[in-house]
Amino acid sequence: MKTKKKISVFQIVNGIVFVLVAFLILIPMWKVIVDSFDLRTAYGMKLWPEAFGLDGYKNIFSNPTMFRPLVISFITTIAGTFVALTLSTLGAYVLIQWDMPGRNFFANMLLFTMIFNGGMIPTYLVLRGLHLTNTLGVVILFPALNVYNLVLMRNFFEGIPASLFESATLDGCSPMQTFIRIVLPMSKAALASIGLMFAVTYWNDYTHYKLYITDSKWYNFQMKLRGMVMGSDLPPTAGSNATENTVRNAAIIVVIIPFMILYPFLQKYFVKGVNIGAVKE
Amino acid sequence: MAEKKQKQAKPSGKKTLAKMYKYRGFYLMFLPVFVFAVIFFYAPMLGIRYAFTNYNGIREPSFVAFKNFQQMFSMQNFWTAFWNTVQISIIKLLLTTFAAVVVAILLNEIANLLFKKVVQTIIYLPHFMSWVVTASIFSLILSPSSSGLVNTFLVKLGIIDSSSMIYFLGTTKWWRFAYYLINIWKETGWQTVIFMATLAGINTDLYEAAAIDGAGRWGKMWYITFPQLRNTILTVIILNLAKVMNLFESAFVLQNDATLSVSNVLETYIYYQSFNSGSIPNYGYTTAVGLFKSLVGCVLVLVCNQWSKKVREGRGIV
Repeated sequence: MKTKKKISVFQIVNGIVFVLVAFLILIPMWKVIVDSFDLRTAYGMKLWPEAFGLDGYKNIFSNPTMFRPLVISFITTIAGTFVALTLSTLGAYVLIQWDMPGRNFFANMLLFTMIFNGGMIPTYLVLRGLHLTNTLGVVILFPALNVYNLVLMRNFFEGIPASLFESATLDGCSPMQTFIRIVLPMSKAALASIGLMFAVTYWNDYTHYKLYITDSKWYNFQMKLRGMVMGSDLPPTAGSNATENTVRNAAIIVVIIPFMILYPFLQKYFVKGVNIGAVKE
Repeated sequence: MAEKKQKQAKPSGKKTLAKMYKYRGFYLMFLPVFVFAVIFFYAPMLGIRYAFTNYNGIREPSFVAFKNFQQMFSMQNFWTAFWNTVQISIIKLLLTTFAAVVVAILLNEIANLLFKKVVQTIIYLPHFMSWVVTASIFSLILSPSSSGLVNTFLVKLGIIDSSSMIYFLGTTKWWRFAYYLINIWKETGWQTVIFMATLAGINTDLYEAAAIDGAGRWGKMWYITFPQLRNTILTVIILNLAKVMNLFESAFVLQNDATLSVSNVLETYIYYQSFNSGSIPNYGYTTAVGLFKSLVGCVLVLVCNQWSKKVREGRGIV
């Protein structure tokens, strides 16, 4: 859009509005950061810790009941993203074989699951029947087949020139070889976008744990955090300078920090991911 | 996502077999996806039969025909959960979409690219936080005590006094208000992404032509920017309307027993009835509620799909 050289009143007001919006978004997060470093029982309005100390974080990293859920979060995120990307790319690659007998059947079979599903309880009963409940298998495998992301991947694969596939076949490549040598290397951007979406989903997963895992041994950090904030599952603060409130706030920071560090570098891939699917004009 | 490129050639049986042989590698590659779909999506569909039985998960299910559905339609709590689901999802959708459109249009007017980038980075951020983290942050901030940021602020301003702090997430009067605000905080920014993409695609000639016709900044916004966004707005609303019945996690992590009359939605109702009822659960009953929910959801998707085809030049949503 054309902009006038002179900065107008509108521009200034608009700028101020967005400074305020940014503050409104950041204040809740800033408050958590401040309280996580504050060893005094937190008072509502302050912009800086009154009694600065790292004891909240020390409490988390020295406490085995906190450390284990954190490790489980990492393991399920890495394993889950890998399985999910494998399924999405394989499925998407088969769905662009327009001439393959049964291709439409497979596509409709997947799309139907977006319209109708068995529901929470029948799904729970199936998973329990397969002895998947109370294992990490359920939280890694169950969310891995995401039809929406598979279709996004397919849309991306459609953009790969068909001549590349043909020449690969003429050179004697099997479908799997073509897939590994041509399709995957050409799809790095889509793999990054969709892989990141999966990673965030796995890292943030709470619902699947809540539904399918009752043994606290297999809780991830989101479950642990939930238990702490609801007050029933606080780590012992005796012998430490941290108050319960400090530890709660520190736990929130620990669970969002890996993402916060990576986010500025990855933002463009997330934005791209939305645009692969939604705005195809 | 429409499936319209279908090849309509229907070759004879022998040719098909030859073709299937040619594609044998691909069938093998689809196998994992197929197995996942069957186990995680299709096997549970067989479980819908429990809706017509009494089943506690241990003893064999006993057939009761439509008794579970009769019970469901006579339950006050079921209807509360149903209307809560509809109201909460639709109001939430309209509020965040409206906020996102306003923010996107104003953001588009910012001339300083660095400032724009910083603002975008900040407002996208809450979308990537889990609902557990969001609920944790806000239950600490909204808490009715001296450590609650909002309540201390209101006391400082003299709006309330320290003995009557507001328990935003724990009273039926305030819960929805708090829920909508938290949703706006979390999702508005990310929703602007799709609107910003549309705005970036508007032909600048249109603005120049409007300027020649004497349109000012507001005139351009009203007569060009907004109409161009209309299709995207409809798309967003249609896509999300189809998911209205699925509301679960955001309500679940923010509600408590005291607010269930305004915050209980169908999925949370099913969850509590199945896993938290305190007595032996009847999975048959909760499967029936789930089936009702899925059917309503299914009708919504199909209606939205037709609507989408009408307004998006033939592109459906599934």
